[in-house]
Amino acid sequence: MEEFMKEIKKWSVKDVITTVLLSAVLIVIQLLVNMVCMVNDFVSMVLSVGIAAFLCAPVYMLMVSRIGKRFVTLIYMTLLGAIFFLMGNWFLLPYFIVVGFLCEAILWKQGSCDHSNRMTASWTVASFLYNGINLLPIWFFWDTYYDFAISSGMEQSYIESYVRYYTAYSWIAFILLFTTLMGFLGCMLGRHLIHRHFKKAGVL
Amino acid sequence: MRADASFAVPVKLWALLCVFVGVNLGNDVLLTCIMTGWAFLYLLLQQHFRLAASYGCFYLVLALLLYGIRFHGLHMPIFSEFYVLMFWKLSPIFMMSWDLITTPPGMLSAFFTRIHMPTSVILGLLVLFRFFPTMRAELRSVGRSMKNRGLTRTGQLLAHPIRSMEYVMTPFLLRTLQLADQLSVSAVARGAEHPGARGSYYEKKIKLREYIVAAAWTLATTSYLILERGMI
Repeated sequence: MEEFMKEIKKWSVKDVITTVLLSAVLIVIQLLVNMVCMVNDFVSMVLSVGIAAFLCAPVYMLMVSRIGKRFVTLIYMTLLGAIFFLMGNWFLLPYFIVVGFLCEAILWKQGSCDHSNRMTASWTVASFLYNGINLLPIWFFWDTYYDFAISSGMEQSYIESYVRYYTAYSWIAFILLFTTLMGFLGCMLGRHLIHRHFKKAGVL
Repeated sequence: MRADASFAVPVKLWALLCVFVGVNLGNDVLLTCIMTGWAFLYLLLQQHFRLAASYGCFYLVLALLLYGIRFHGLHMPIFSEFYVLMFWKLSPIFMMSWDLITTPPGMLSAFFTRIHMPTSVILGLLVLFRFFPTMRAELRSVGRSMKNRGLTRTGQLLAHPIRSMEYVMTPFLLRTLQLADQLSVSAVARGAEHPGARGSYYEKKIKLREYIVAAAWTLATTSYLILERGMI
């Protein structure tokens, strides 16, 4: 905690504003992708997390390399968890804080924020663990989730598809693999964009 | 006139908390329309007529969709039924949140400073509150530029999805970073990094009618929860 406070004191006003703005962009992308993908059960449950991970990767890489300090990922993950908490999934707040700490551990070494490989590793792990939003309810919080789903008006067919995809090992393996791969590919795109545009524009 | 009609920040926060508790502790999604009704009344008391009218139209559309879903088996290919119900349920929260985030930043920061919230958290909250109106304008501007260059044609988007994504993301993110810089300069120029106690021209004392409104929200939420549980 002392270490956290010491690091946070190093933050300037610009760092705070940039982190909050880009975290909000990331969260909006994730929620929009989830919303659009609800059109179809397969897209929603199997592909949506991967698509979101792919689209968010360049924004995440830009955010981390622009601020270049510790705890950027933790703050973003906490904000994301808080949004899920407000939407009724309270268990996702502590979960995302833990994910944030794991990503921070990957980026802990000084200078990691200029290191594309570490940022790629951090986002790839975050993409893999982002599946927790779908897997945690079925593994640990089924009653809470079921009550939430029914009270929010989810159709029974949607809940049945959800159970079908997230209880079959083959589907779970495919979803985890697909999401991790998409997160990784998104980072490759992010590296390309940073190198091609943002460095040249002088914002990094 | 409207600035006078607008309630103080603690009252707005209390009202939001009451709505949040009411909506989340209630079991029946449809009955949240009672809370929404009170939220409309609350907006009208503050003379937010435009917001009440525009959200009223949206709520009417939601009501029609809900009617179609419940009684005529309406199934939409794009907008899932889940979202209709979610928007219906969360409508009072959206209305109260919108009322709070459109409060002048000076009033918000004056209140947060008074309760000794750290400056970095205040700045973060203010940026977050201003996010949606600002970003909407920026995205519109990127869309217009792309349209001028013929990059928004369906064929172009489908044939080159990654390139199209790059065309949207690069200017949008560059503009976001510029905005962050401008906001930081503005905040620093106004003394955000100054360690001493900060005052504000916008500090507003809570009047009697605002105490009444806060008490009314407490009563309304409690009675809603009792009524709602009694009906189920």
